[in-house]
Amino acid sequence: MKLRDNRAWYLLLPALAIMGFVGLVPLISVLNFSFHDIFSIDAIHWVGVAWYAEILTGPAFWASLARSLLFSALALGVQVPLGIAVALLLLRTGRGGVLVLPLFALPLVVPWNMIPIMWLSLINPDTGLMGQALAATGIVFDYKFTALHTWILLVAMDTWHWLGLVVILSFAALSAIPQPYYQAAAIDGAGRWAVFRQIELPRIAGALSIVLLLRFVDSLMIYTEAFAINAGGPDGATTFLSLDLGEDIKGFSYGIAAARSMLAFLIVITVVWVFTTLTAARSKTPGPAE
Amino acid sequence: MMRPHHVRPAVWPWLLLALLVALILLPLVQTIVLAFTATLDHQGVAAGSVGLTNFRNILATPALMASVGNSLIYVLLNVAFCLIAGLPAAYAFARYRFVGDRHLLLLMLAFRVTPPVVLSLPIFILFAQVGLVNSPVGIALVHCLFNLPIAIWILESFIAAVPREYDETAFIDGHSRSSYFFRYLIPAIAPGIGVTAFFCFIFSWVEVVFARILTVTAGKPITMAINALFSFRTDIGLVMAMTVLSLLPGVLMIWLVRNHIARGFTIRV
Repeated sequence: MKLRDNRAWYLLLPALAIMGFVGLVPLISVLNFSFHDIFSIDAIHWVGVAWYAEILTGPAFWASLARSLLFSALALGVQVPLGIAVALLLLRTGRGGVLVLPLFALPLVVPWNMIPIMWLSLINPDTGLMGQALAATGIVFDYKFTALHTWILLVAMDTWHWLGLVVILSFAALSAIPQPYYQAAAIDGAGRWAVFRQIELPRIAGALSIVLLLRFVDSLMIYTEAFAINAGGPDGATTFLSLDLGEDIKGFSYGIAAARSMLAFLIVITVVWVFTTLTAARSKTPGPAE
Repeated sequence: MMRPHHVRPAVWPWLLLALLVALILLPLVQTIVLAFTATLDHQGVAAGSVGLTNFRNILATPALMASVGNSLIYVLLNVAFCLIAGLPAAYAFARYRFVGDRHLLLLMLAFRVTPPVVLSLPIFILFAQVGLVNSPVGIALVHCLFNLPIAIWILESFIAAVPREYDETAFIDGHSRSSYFFRYLIPAIAPGIGVTAFFCFIFSWVEVVFARILTVTAGKPITMAINALFSFRTDIGLVMAMTVLSLLPGVLMIWLVRNHIARGFTIRV
C-alpha cells in the first residue's frame, strides 16, 4: 500500500519547475497567440476565435486530419501485429533471439532528419541497393509523383524506424510470463492460438497499451520524416496535420499557426485522456490471467 | 527461454529471423557503403573509389568536428537534468498517494506526446528573452519536455519493484532520507537508471525540431551540421559518413544496456 502524504509534492518540485518552464508557460502563450493577429511583436490585434473558425470551416483541415488518421491506422496496423510476431519469433529462437534483439533497436538511434535521407538513397534507381533491385525487375517506383508510392515509402520508413520499440517492449513483457502458465496450457491441450489469446495477449496488454499510445500520437503528428520525403506531395496527398502547421510557421502566419497548435494539443490531450480512462478501467477489472 | 510446447528445433524461425534482420540492416548497409565511397571528385580521389576519403574530409572540417561535441554536451546535460529531477519525482509517485497525483501523471503524459512543432515558436520567443538561444543548456532543458515524463515513468516502475520494507529497514537502521536515497535506493535500481539514461540519451540525440530552432548562429548539433551539407552539388558520401558518425554514440549506448534493454524492463501501466 502506498502512504497518503501530500508532502510528496515537495519531491516533485524540480520536475514541476522544469515542466512548467518548457511546457506550461509556452502552452499558455500559444493559447494567447491563437486569439490574436500577429504582424510583428509591436502589431498584435485581438481577433477572438477567427483563426479557429477559419481552420474548422475550411475543407483543408479535415482533409489533413483524415490523412493523418489514415497514416496512424496504417502505421499501427502494420507495426503492432508485426512487432508482436517478431517478439514471439525471437522467444522461439531462444538465446539467438536475445542476441538479435539489440539489432532491432538500431533504427531508434538514427537522427530523425537522417532517416528520410537514408531511405531516399536506398531507393535511388541509379545508386541505391533497393532502387537498383526494383529497376532490374522493371518496377517503376515513383515516390515523387505517384501518391500511392509516397504512402508506401512513408509507411515502410516509419515501420523500419519504430518496429524496434514494439518488439523490445513486447519481448520484455512476453519473457516475464512464468513457465507454469505454458505448462498449464499444455496440460489443457491448448492450441497455439489459444495460448496467444488466453495467456500471452493479456499478459502483454499493459506494455502494448503504452506502445499503442506512443505510436498513435507520434504517427498522427509525423513531421520531420514526412516533410523531407515529398513535402506533403504529390499534390497534397501526404499533407498531414503537422505539415500544415509547419507551413504556417515558415510563412510567419503566427496567429493561425498558434490556433493549429492548440487544435493539435486538444487532439493529443483527448487521446491521452481516453487512454488513461481505458487503462484505469482495465486495471479495475481483473483479466483472465491475473 | 525455451518454451515447453516447442519440442523439435525447426529451421524456419531462423530463416524468418535472418530475413527480418536483413531488412532492418539494409538501409544501414546502404549508408555505410556510401560513407566509404567518394561520391564527388576530390583532390587525387576519383568519384566512385572506395576508401576513407569522406572520413578524412570530416576530420579536416572544424565545423563538422565541433558539431559532434555540441550534440554530446546538450544530450549529456539533458540526461543529468532528467535523472536529478526524475528520481525524487519517481520516488513520490512510487511510494505516496497525494492530492492530484493522477492528474499530474496525465499532464506529464500529455506533454510527452505533444509534438515539438506545436510549442517550437513560443519556446523560441521565451528562450530568446532569457538568453537560452544558442546555448546547450537551452536544448537540454527543452528536451526534458518529452524525456522527463519518460524518465519518471521508467524510474517509477523500478522503484515500485523495490519492496517498501527495504525503505523501512534502512530508516530503522538510523539512515536519514538523503543517505538512504544515495546509499540504498540508487544502487538497488541501478539497472533502471541505466535504462532511463539510455532512453533520454537516444531521444535527445535524434531530436531535430527544437535543436534546429534553438541554434540560430552557434552551437549547431550534428543533425544540423548534416543538413547544412546539402547544396546544389551535395557530397552524399560526406553526408553518409557524418550519419555513420552520428550513429556511433547510440550504438555504444545499445551495447551498454543490451542485457537490461528487455530483461528487468518490466512495464507496469
